[in-house]
Amino acid sequence: MVFPTATTLIATAPQRPAGRGAEIWSPKRFVTPAVVLVVLVSLFLWLSSLSLDSIESRTINVDYVIARVREHLGLTVVASALVAALAIPTGILLSRTRSRVIKGIVLGVANVGQATPAVGVIILLAIVWQTGYLTALVGLVIYSFLPVLRNTMIGLQQIDENVRESAFGMGMTQNQVLFRIELPLAVPVILAGLRTSLVFCVGVATIATFINAGGLGDMIVNGLKLQRYPVLVTGAVLVACIALLIDWVAATAEDVLRPRGI
Amino acid sequence: MPKQPNTAVLQIAGKTSGALIELDHVTKQYPNQPVAAVQDFSMTVQPGELIMFVGPSGCGKTTTMKIINRNTAPTSGSISIDGRDVLSLNPSELRRHIGYVIQQIGLFPHMTIAENIGVVPKLLNWSKEKTNDRVHELLTTVGLEPGDFAHRYPKQLSGGQQQRVGVARALAADPPVMLMDEPFGATDPITREKLQAEFLRLQASIGKTIIFVTHDFDEAVRLGDRIAVLSNRSQIEQFDTPANILTNPANEYVSSFIGLGTAIKRLVLIPVTEARLGPASAAAGGTTTIRTTDSLRDALDALVLTGLPALAVLDEQNRAVGSISVDQISAVLGTEVPVLAPTAEV
Amino acid sequence: MNLDLNGLLTFWARRWDDILELLGEHLTVVAVALALAMVIGVGVGMLVWDKPFPRSTVIAAAGVALTIPSLALLALLIPVVGLGWTPTVIALVMYSLLPIVRNTVVGLREVPPAIMESALGMGMTPFTVLLRVQLPMAWPIILTGVRVAAQLTIGVAAIAAYVAGPGLGQFIFQGLSSLGSKNALNFAVTGTLGVVILALVVDAAFVAITRSTTSRGLRA
Repeated sequence: MVFPTATTLIATAPQRPAGRGAEIWSPKRFVTPAVVLVVLVSLFLWLSSLSLDSIESRTINVDYVIARVREHLGLTVVASALVAALAIPTGILLSRTRSRVIKGIVLGVANVGQATPAVGVIILLAIVWQTGYLTALVGLVIYSFLPVLRNTMIGLQQIDENVRESAFGMGMTQNQVLFRIELPLAVPVILAGLRTSLVFCVGVATIATFINAGGLGDMIVNGLKLQRYPVLVTGAVLVACIALLIDWVAATAEDVLRPRGI
Repeated sequence: MPKQPNTAVLQIAGKTSGALIELDHVTKQYPNQPVAAVQDFSMTVQPGELIMFVGPSGCGKTTTMKIINRNTAPTSGSISIDGRDVLSLNPSELRRHIGYVIQQIGLFPHMTIAENIGVVPKLLNWSKEKTNDRVHELLTTVGLEPGDFAHRYPKQLSGGQQQRVGVARALAADPPVMLMDEPFGATDPITREKLQAEFLRLQASIGKTIIFVTHDFDEAVRLGDRIAVLSNRSQIEQFDTPANILTNPANEYVSSFIGLGTAIKRLVLIPVTEARLGPASAAAGGTTTIRTTDSLRDALDALVLTGLPALAVLDEQNRAVGSISVDQISAVLGTEVPVLAPTAEV
Repeated sequence: MNLDLNGLLTFWARRWDDILELLGEHLTVVAVALALAMVIGVGVGMLVWDKPFPRSTVIAAAGVALTIPSLALLALLIPVVGLGWTPTVIALVMYSLLPIVRNTVVGLREVPPAIMESALGMGMTPFTVLLRVQLPMAWPIILTGVRVAAQLTIGVAAIAAYVAGPGLGQFIFQGLSSLGSKNALNFAVTGTLGVVILALVVDAAFVAITRSTTSRGLRA
């Protein structure tokens, strides 16, 4: 599973004016939650109208669904937090290095990594190591590491060299330039990377079911195996809604946290 | 960090108007480059002097300037400010006491104008109050209404306004030395001229030691106390006052750099009052007038622009003291002013 | 379990025909999906590029499709269209739409106003301008969108094997289902490596295609 590259995301990021408040909380902002709500209500009504057999009612009940959602979100959030904690500092370090060899290696690994299917990574890990939650977590981290790493590097690289020069020229130390100038200016790009990585994680967490790591993928796979479409549809719709909501939260955070003036 | 350089920085910082800068046999050789960017450069700049570095692009003038605030490390040679060896000082602390303006301005886009100007005061741990007062004072100095501009972001300003903020930001901690790299180069001609005039007025009151890099010889003549004409490897071809360079170019290189119209360039340096003015009645009907404080260049520009044969000259009390025409300007130079053809035909 | 290189080579030698067939299937399903997505995406892009509301709606809708995890999207298609090639192609088309539509719109809008004005001034109709001026100028950008979509779909197609879709994903899942056997790793490695190589080769091919089909005057 590959998503648009950071560069394509940046290239089309809309320019927002500095005035906020109304900008961020415009009616448009609430389209996604509203759509998700409508979909969930429809799903509920549809399920209520069905008479579920014993297999179906074993999985389509509040306790079971909440447990799966919790597993799914847990995997996603823990993996994303790990990715943020690992990839952002790595990106900063890599953008500090002048070594062309290191940069070339990173670029090469990034390209191959982007071309690697998530399902391949997860299943290979399961074969050479073990099945279960930990493997899925490692797979998720490996897989969503790249967008954050790359966006951190791009975010720092795209800063106007003149801004950096005047910061040093005014007597800021290396660390002051990093924390007061470079990182704030890179925030929008880094957040875009985190957003991509979060959406990745929701998706990859779905296939975690293949290696017995739980999550809503369980419902999809069980529904498919047992030919119980209500189960399959419930799982798939819930995953889709979670993905949309997480993307929405991340997009909102991006807008709120974007420094004023840029 | 040792104590010694710290106090030295403070000694430089203690001055606010003008410090002595000495560069002694400074060389900068980049690795893998056949020739040095700067070779054996020596110069003494007196406190309060405005020195212009003029030369073609790539001649090393910017590199030379950047060596002074240690943005670039020299390969050999020494630099001192008020007798303090710059190379022994902590570079970051040193730079906080040297104003720095570049052509692309480099305002921090995520900070308001007030925050941009307050960066160095903040680095120096000034109190909020003192910083605020200073920001207001500086915005007023560079002609931007503080109430209107302090809380705007850079992208909400025009190029000329941004450049004013750039100058204000460099002046924030009242540094004794300013380094300016083509600060007005990216602005349109009209804005540039305005900024230059404002800058001259400002310098008259603050008296900083300024190194000003430009490739525009007219700008150098207009602004500089002394001009260093530089050629490749930052070699000084001539270092003298504008008037001396214009009247006495040291060599072929300097003459060719001054280019054609030397005479016209000299006009900038000559006040209108040097000319023998004609009778006030000669300036019939023209609404454009010249002031006694203007230069002959201003007068010539106005004459060409209006196409009138003569313009009235007014003194500070707005009294007409005479008139000026192209002939009288030519008379001062002792040579025919060469760009007259269009005027004559009108 | 450790990778046994000799074993892997023997595995490849013995199953070379299968590998080639799956590779061919993978490439075919991606190509079919991309072709369909290009027709739909460029067409829709041409319809909406100059109308703000439809434009943002279409792009937002395509964005939603891209956000939905692939297994969920494939699963939702099964009750409607069954298993196999059909849900795979539909899902791949849906994932390809965002990059293609968005880049089409960006490309068409990026044509400088002066060029538009002079084209209209020469008496071209807006439709002729779109076809003869804007589309050729937007072509490199549209192709970039297709290239992004290709990378995307090659990866997604690997998951489609789970719903009986075609391609190298079959090997990956075969590796999973034979977990513990000695061929499990060979299957999974072959499938994954095949997808990676396919993605890299296709990406390189797109660079070449973009170069050779872009007007010489537009090349940097």
